[in-house]
This record gives sequence, C-alpha cells and structure tokens, in this order.
Amino acid sequence: MTLTDLSPGETGIILNIEADTTLSNRLRELGLLDGIAVRMVKMAPLKGPVEIKVHHSYLSIRWDDAQTIRLQS
Amino acid sequence: MKHHFASSSNTGSRDGEHWVAIVGNPNCGKTAIFNLLTGLNQKVSNYPGITVEKKEGIARTDDGDFRLLDLPGTYSLSAESFDEEIVSEQIDQWAKGMAPPSVIISVVDATNLGRNLYLTSQLQDLNIPIVIALNMVDQLEDHTQIDADKLASKMGVAAVIPLSAKLNEGLDNLKNAVVNARKGNQSPLDSPPWMDSEMVSDLKSTEHNGYVSARFGLAQSMRNKIQSGTMERDQEAILRYRWIDDILSQVTHRGAETPLASSRSEQWDKILTHQWGGPLIFVGILYFIFQSIFTWATVPMDMIQLGMDNFSTFVVNNMPEGMLRDILVEGIIGGVGAIVIFLPQILILSFFLTLLEDTGYMARVAFMLDKGMTKMGLHGKSVLPLMSGYACAIPGIMSTRTIDSWKERLVTILILPLMSCSARLPVYTLLIGAFIPSVTVGGYFNLQGLTLVLMYFLGTAVALILAKVFSKWVGEKSSSSFIMELPPYRAPIPKSVLRHVFIRGKLFLVNAGKVIMAISIVLWFLASFPKVDNPNSDVNPIQHSYAGQIGHAMEPVIRPLGFDWKIGIGLLTSFAAREVMVSTMATIYNVEDAGEEAVNLREAMQTDVHPETGAPTYTPLVALALMVFYVFAAQCMATFAIVRQETNSWKWPMFMVVYMTALAYFGAMAVYQGGKLLGFS
Repeated sequence: MTLTDLSPGETGIILNIEADTTLSNRLRELGLLDGIAVRMVKMAPLKGPVEIKVHHSYLSIRWDDAQTIRLQS
Repeated sequence: MKHHFASSSNTGSRDGEHWVAIVGNPNCGKTAIFNLLTGLNQKVSNYPGITVEKKEGIARTDDGDFRLLDLPGTYSLSAESFDEEIVSEQIDQWAKGMAPPSVIISVVDATNLGRNLYLTSQLQDLNIPIVIALNMVDQLEDHTQIDADKLASKMGVAAVIPLSAKLNEGLDNLKNAVVNARKGNQSPLDSPPWMDSEMVSDLKSTEHNGYVSARFGLAQSMRNKIQSGTMERDQEAILRYRWIDDILSQVTHRGAETPLASSRSEQWDKILTHQWGGPLIFVGILYFIFQSIFTWATVPMDMIQLGMDNFSTFVVNNMPEGMLRDILVEGIIGGVGAIVIFLPQILILSFFLTLLEDTGYMARVAFMLDKGMTKMGLHGKSVLPLMSGYACAIPGIMSTRTIDSWKERLVTILILPLMSCSARLPVYTLLIGAFIPSVTVGGYFNLQGLTLVLMYFLGTAVALILAKVFSKWVGEKSSSSFIMELPPYRAPIPKSVLRHVFIRGKLFLVNAGKVIMAISIVLWFLASFPKVDNPNSDVNPIQHSYAGQIGHAMEPVIRPLGFDWKIGIGLLTSFAAREVMVSTMATIYNVEDAGEEAVNLREAMQTDVHPETGAPTYTPLVALALMVFYVFAAQCMATFAIVRQETNSWKWPMFMVVYMTALAYFGAMAVYQGGKLLGFS
C-alpha cells in the first residue's frame, strides 16, 4: 500500500520510496526515512495535495508524489 | 536548474572583515532573530519580498560590532527552488574560501530538532565555527528537556544557546557566544563524523574539487556520486539522520508526548482548511481586507489632504510670485501630494498581507488552492506571489523564486502584473470616489467598495485564464513537486510586522519622491509652455501647451475608449509608474486653474465639461473604461526591469508589455463601446 491509501487519522510506517532521485532525496532530507511513522492528516479534494504529520511537523505533498511512498502492510 | 545567481557571490562581506551568517530552515524564526539582533541597523537591498530578500545588518556587542547576513530559509544544501539555490551557491562559495563568514549562526526549531539539525550538520562540513540558536524552547512540550551543553559537545559546534525570539529571551547569550566562537579555536575534522573510514577512502580517490575544507569536499563528492547514480541514493540523508538521532537520544529527555499527536494548529485547520469552509473563509478574509482599505483609510487620507492644502496655501502666502513658486505649488506639491495621500491604503494592505504570511495562514492557502492552481498551469506556491502582487508586482515576482519548477514560475511571473497592485489603487480610488455613487446595493454592499472588488476580481480572473493559455504555450518542461511545510499557527511578532509595513511605506514614498517629483516637474513645464501671448484671448493655455499638443495628437487613438487628451497625457506619464496618472491629472488641472492654491482633483474632474457642448468630459462609463484600462495595462518600468532580471532575457518582459497593452486597449474599448450601445453615456 502507499501513503494515499491511508484515510485521514490513520498512521503507517514507511517501507520505501519509489520516486526519482531528486524527489526521493528531498523526502528523505525532510525526515521521511524507512521505518518512520507518518500520520495522514488531511486530503484536499479531487486528489489535491495530502497533509501528513511526520516527526513533529506537518507536510503538504502532492497526490502523485505521495503515491511513491510505500508503507508497510 | 538554471544558474541565475552567479553574480550574487561574495554577498555581504569585504575581505578580512568579521561577519556572521544566519542560516536555518524555513519557519524556524530565523528572520525574527535577525531582526532582534540587528534592531533597525539593517539594510534590505532592493524590494523587500516576504522571505526572499538579502538582508544585512549590524549587531552591537560590548566586545565590538559584527555584520550579519540573513540567508533565505532552506532545508538542505541540495537546492530545488531558486531560493534554496541562492543559499547553496553561497555556501559553495564559502567552502571554496571566497569571503566565508567567521561564524555561522544555525537557527533551529527546538520543537522539531532532528530535521533542523540536518542542515546544521551540512554546515558543519565547512569547518567554520557554528553557534546553534536553539529557538522556541518556550514552546517545548512539558517534561521535554534538551541538554544544550551536551548537544554542543556531541555535535562538535562552538555553542548551543537556548532562546526564544518570541519572548525576546537569550539573545544576549547568543551575541556573546558568537563573539567567543570567533575567538575560540576548535580543531577541525578532516571528514564527516558519520562517514566510516572505508567510505572516506573511497570518496577521497574521486575528490578533485577546490574546497578549502576536506570535510566539505568529501560530503560534496558524495552528493555528486548520488546525483550521477554511482552511489546508492538517499545515503547522505540516512547516514546523517542516523548520526543526529544517536546524539539526540543522548541529550534529550522526552516527556510522554507522541510526535504524531494532533497539535492545536491541526485543530484550527479543521475549520480553516476545511474542504469547503476553508476557501470560503479565504474569500471572506480577502473581502474584509479590501473593504477595510476603503473605510479605515479615509480618516488619515483626509488629514493628509488637509495638510497638503494648508502647506500649499502657506507657500503661496510666503513666497514671492514667480516661476519657482509655480513649480513648487502646481508641480511638486500638487503632484507629489496627490500620491502621498494613498500611503494609508498601501500601509493597510501591506499590513494584512504580512499578517497572513507571518501567522502561517498563507501556507494553508497554498495547500487548499494547489489543485486548482495546477489546473490553471500554476503552482500552490504561486498563491503567495500573486497575493503579494496586490501590494506590488516587484516583491511578488521576486518571491516566485520559491517555486521549484521553472515553467510554473515563468507563467506566474507573466501573469502577476495583472494582479491589481497598490499603485493602481490611487487611480481606482480617484475615479470611484469621483464617479461611482456611494449607495448601498443588495442591502449590504457599498457600490464603491463593490466596484473596487470588481476591478481586483477582473484582473485576477483574466490572469488565471491567461495562465492556462500561457502554460500550454510556453515550451518549457514542467517537473514540479510540491512539498511544503505547514508551520504551526503563530501569533505574529508585532515588531517584525511593523518593520515590514514600514519598509513598504518607505519604498513607496522614496519612489514617489524620486520618479514622481521628476515627472511632475517635467510635466509642469510641458503643461505651462509655450505661454499664450495674449492672456485675454480665448485660448485655453493648457491646450496650447506642449502637453496639450501631445495629448491632442493621441486623441484619435484613444477616442474609441472614451478618453480625452488629458487622460492621454496621463496614460503616457503612467508608463513610468501607474500612480503618476493621478499626479499628472493634478498637475494639469493645477496649471489650467492657475489659481492660488492646489485644486481638489476629485472636484475638478467631476466638474470638467467639454468647452463646446458643455457636456461633462468624464462620465461613470468613461471612468469604468479607464479603470479597466488600468487593470490590464503594463505601465511600470520597475516591473519590466525586474522581469528582465528574473527571466534573464528581454523576450519575456517584451512579451508581457505587448500582451498587456493589447488587453488594456481592447478591454477598455469593449467597456466603453459596449456601454454606449446599452444606452449609457
């Protein structure tokens, strides 16, 4: 499953990231490492960006980018 | 990514001088700390964007002064937006030994320490003494403790200073630490502490870059190898975080908190970014801002008008008659005065925009509108530049640097001047005040306020439609991601907000002073000469003048829009800056009147009649057509210059002027001719 499969309020653990190098690098730098817990906070309508909480901060990530983040099932 | 910033090297330093750089993540309170350290001893170069500016200042300590440079916020050295590129290029220069700072202040948010220290660990590779400003310690959850001294020794930085910019606590300690860090001698490391010896020797063989610090060289060759795909990606992030997490586990004592718990801001967002409620609230806020520009600004505006009137009467009474007095009263006081009066409105608008940004609300707007914006060929991060465009296109265009993708950035720049900037406000207010009746429509809305909102709406709507068209048409590749932090809602720091508003007002006045005064004088001359030989003849002196002749020559072109020769002159002078239109009209009427004191422009325009027919020269329809012209027209040299600078080409600014002028001409024509067909005069 990927990040976008979470419903608002649900938490998942990152398995890996399948984005291209640039995006993956950026996500990693922001602390989205394998084994880290993320909580889905909000999904903007019509597959707009999703808001997640990771570590202590809230991040907005576009739907397509969020789909590259795979979670442990 | 294009490298536009090669010329920005060596920023803020002269050789051998002691200076200090402030670096940190976005939203970590970096700028607030900078403001507190420097007070008013700072210089903002060019136009103050909201965050993308280069700010320099002087911090005073008992041990002597040091110069400070505030860099834009960034998460790491691998730049994605133009903003971040400024920082990484700058740091790359320092690493090569070009005018490096003697100390770096690394500002970190104590409530999100791990991620903030990531950048700190990258800065450490420079082997320049670092002082960590551990900000927001007042906002740490109960029972969470950070051992600052232990953190400093484990990380290998000069000092860690807990402080709170919000409460103005700990700033003196920070200053002292900076002074001490410069004196203290730490033994620099040859390689990053998180790299094992095998990796070091592996990377050393590929090292061929001119970095002063071997440690930075190693980290950089690692980044290069990751970029080129010869090293497993994500390695840098994984290794650095492993190192940081290990240190943090030894120096922090956490309470029973859970990092993913719902914060107070999240509760607020249940309403403020609600699927449907959120956008509605946003529209409501916008409406409130524009309405307040009209209602709250009237009192100070009347006071300024009164002051100006008294001043010109004073000059008339106390100066000998002659050309100098005429220039002063009819040219300068009349022209500049007509502009200064709009200062209250500009201050109110900047105040609200700064407030929306500083509280963290703007990031929510970007989140809510990203989907819609991408549909229009823009970017969620286009919202803030476009909103700033309501104040002034120049800081707006500069703040597009935060947009990661070049294509979306270019489209945002191209349409941004269509957002009605505060320089149009004087034109709108003059025409609305003079020609749109102040009646209540629909029970609640003042027709004047509504007309103003309509003008803003027209510019914005057309801008969005054109964004869609341009993005299809601009051949650049789009490769944009949108990762943005939603910072916690914070009460704005009054001092910081006031500073920003003050700077905007000052810039407006300086421009009014320079451009408008020069144009007022030239215009007064053009409008006053040649003099009519026989003062008793029927010739209208202003029609007879150079300005009148130019205006009359233009009349055939602008007649279809309902404009007369006086407006024609105004349109021409507006190309220096839009607000000049108002001072131009003021100067023309002052010269025409040739009376003892400056005339009231609003009344003069209302009572102006055609010399032969006796019909009023300006009607509500003409006023409307003229406002529509101003919504679209590209009348700002400064915008042209900044677009040239930011796009690094002549092509885009030229294109912008052509499309906007065409829109203005045909838009105004449609309004005037359409209105006549419908039976309005």
